[in-house]
Amino acid sequence: MPQHIKRLLGVFAIFIVLFLVMRQVLKPSSFGKLGHFRADAIYENTLKPMHYTVADSCTKCHRTIRTEKDKGFHKNLKCEVCHGPGLKHSLFAGQFKVGELPDSLKLNKPGERKDCGVCHQKNAARIKILFDTINTTMVRQIDLAEHNPPDLKANEPANCIDCHNPHQP
Amino acid sequence: MEDHLQNLYEVLSKIEGYVYPNEIELNWSILIVLYPYITGLVAGAFILASLERIFKIKVLKPTYGIALLTAFSFMLVATMPLVSHLGKPLRAYEIMITPHSSSAMAIFGFVYLWYLMVVLFLEIWFDYRRDMVIWGNESKGVKRFLYKLLSLWTTDISPKAVALDDRIGYIVTVIGIPSAFLLHGYVGFIFGSIKANPWWSTVLMPVIFLFSAMVSGIALVMIIYIVLTKIRKQLLDMDCLDTIAKYLFYILIIDFALEGLDQIHRIYVAEESFEALHALVFGKLFYTLFIYQGLLGTIVPLLTLGTLQFYKPKPQIRKVIYIILPILVLMGIFFMRWNVVIGGQLFSKSFYGYTTFKTGLIGMEGYLMAATWLIIPFLILSFLLWLLPPWRKIETSHE
Ligand code: HEC
Ligand code: HEC
Ligand code: HEC
Ligand code: HEC
Repeated sequence: MPQHIKRLLGVFAIFIVLFLVMRQVLKPSSFGKLGHFRADAIYENTLKPMHYTVADSCTKCHRTIRTEKDKGFHKNLKCEVCHGPGLKHSLFAGQFKVGELPDSLKLNKPGERKDCGVCHQKNAARIKILFDTINTTMVRQIDLAEHNPPDLKANEPANCIDCHNPHQP
Repeated sequence: MEDHLQNLYEVLSKIEGYVYPNEIELNWSILIVLYPYITGLVAGAFILASLERIFKIKVLKPTYGIALLTAFSFMLVATMPLVSHLGKPLRAYEIMITPHSSSAMAIFGFVYLWYLMVVLFLEIWFDYRRDMVIWGNESKGVKRFLYKLLSLWTTDISPKAVALDDRIGYIVTVIGIPSAFLLHGYVGFIFGSIKANPWWSTVLMPVIFLFSAMVSGIALVMIIYIVLTKIRKQLLDMDCLDTIAKYLFYILIIDFALEGLDQIHRIYVAEESFEALHALVFGKLFYTLFIYQGLLGTIVPLLTLGTLQFYKPKPQIRKVIYIILPILVLMGIFFMRWNVVIGGQLFSKSFYGYTTFKTGLIGMEGYLMAATWLIIPFLILSFLLWLLPPWRKIETSHE
């Protein structure tokens, strides 16, 4: 075999051996413990900050609203759907008196027309889907522009929550 | 409150109709457009080189070396868009050391290595070894060391050894053609096998990707050849350019036919996804699909190249055409990738809604990042052309 072919093969052999060695050295230590993946990945993900809490945790302090809500149409909506992630709030809000809640612990109070419209605004695509499903699970659709629109002259109530209780619509 | 959790309304303003929550954000961004684009350029440039080597189309000789080095420099960068897209560059190697046979992505690591090391590297090495030995003896300093290192301090340049190099180089190229098909067919396969997405899921996808790859690679080498020759103040080999243009024309026809076939099939079958795709194509994809990809990137080049097959204007005019056409073609193929990758994510799999794609200038997934990965291959190529200038090679005829 000519000299240069030998050298070339040598280089490739070195590369392959090096690869096999590196494979052993570099393989993440937790790889394969639980399956074909890095077991530490699970642990690392648990370290990520949490933002949401369990649905029931609000009940501890806001029982009246919970019972109110359970009787209405919104009974299947979780509090955090409207109020936003509430883990920090439910952990620390108990330390403050009524009216003294710091801003960092305040939650959304989405009471504007567009907020309710997120779910209730008439949407051709949405209706088409929902007609296929069982009627009771359907979200009623209204047209924000037509359903009791604000009357600027008469100063009538126009916000949804002026007529509907968000917790018991 | 944390911003990213509060922007529901902003998010909702991006969508039309009904989309599933996981479809609002496009997970595959501009970098994933770039990745098939760059691998396509590699495969295409290599095929052009092998036309000369295997199919013995001797007029293409001036572009052989350029095509190989182009393929090599783009290949070195091909995975980088993926790595920067995934955002964990320090863990990127793990896909290589813990592969799983059921993961197409992991197998790609090996397809890639095979193609880079066994095909491109070996072919270039055997092609240049004799010259590197000679240049190594002629030059001084760092360059001398580089040549010596690259030629592994070999000295044997007897006719017998050179003939052997040539023979092995030939075999490598023969292996290389199916490998190039594999490399790029694979990229198409990744998309074509996503059965949940009607815009991607077609068995034609690998073939379409392959032919569009060839189109783009050939166009790229054409431009590089013209620019290089101008920089070196040499005369353009018009025969060579005419021949490249001819092949570009043939392959463009196949590419166009395949893509047309795919669309006609879609229209004729008119599955339940059809209406949604129809609205997509005439809405958000109108410019990128019909104008950039279809009209400018395909029809105009096709008609011009077709005309050139019957009627040859003066070389001066042909030169201009040969500069403009490849640019159009390259742009067209870029938007073809764009339409596949981005287009496939714009519509909801419920077929009732659409989302929008927005990307910034800066950031890990921004346009600047994408531009960087398009420019770096040219820097590598300049270096390689400086180190291994194909025009300084001693004429060997590949037998
Ligand atoms: C540890 C007891 C506690 C828990 C658990 C708790 N809260 Fe509160 N919450 C409070 C207190 C105290 C206030 C302040 C009352 C006030 O200022 O009127 C408050 C106020 C609020 C407000 C009104 C804030 C404002 O700006 O006026 C909302 C909305 C609210 N809570 C929602 C929730 C939700 C949703 C949950 C479940 C994720 C929850 N709370 C869990 C104690 C709690
Ligand atoms: C449909 C969305 C929605 C859901 C679901 C919802 N809320 Fe509310 N909540 C609102 C709106 C809107 C307001 C603001 C009312 C206002 O400004 O008068 C509000 C106000 C509140 C307040 C402040 C009351 C006050 O008088 O200032 C508390 C506390 C609260 N919600 C707790 C809850 C809890 C606990 C739940 C779950 C059991 C819940 N909410 C579920 C929409 C919702
Ligand atoms: C997260 C989505 C969501 C939001 C936000 C929301 N709703 Fe609802 N709404 C529902 C669902 C789900 C139902 C229950 C449908 C059922 O079970 O019939 C419902 C039911 C209702 C109903 C009863 C409709 C009927 O069947 O007669 C009213 C009224 C209503 N909502 C008003 C509001 C108002 C006012 C707001 C704004 C404060 C609001 N909703 C915000 C999802 C939402
Ligand atoms: C002026 C008071 C008023 C305001 C403001 C108002 N509503 Fe109503 N809404 C009603 C009344 C009364 C009904 C029941 C009669 C009906 O069906 O029209 C109703 C019915 C509904 C229904 C049930 C419709 C159905 O098909 O059964 C929904 C959903 C609803 N409202 C949502 C909203 C939302 C969202 C807003 C804010 C954009 C809003 N409403 C503002 C008075 C109001």
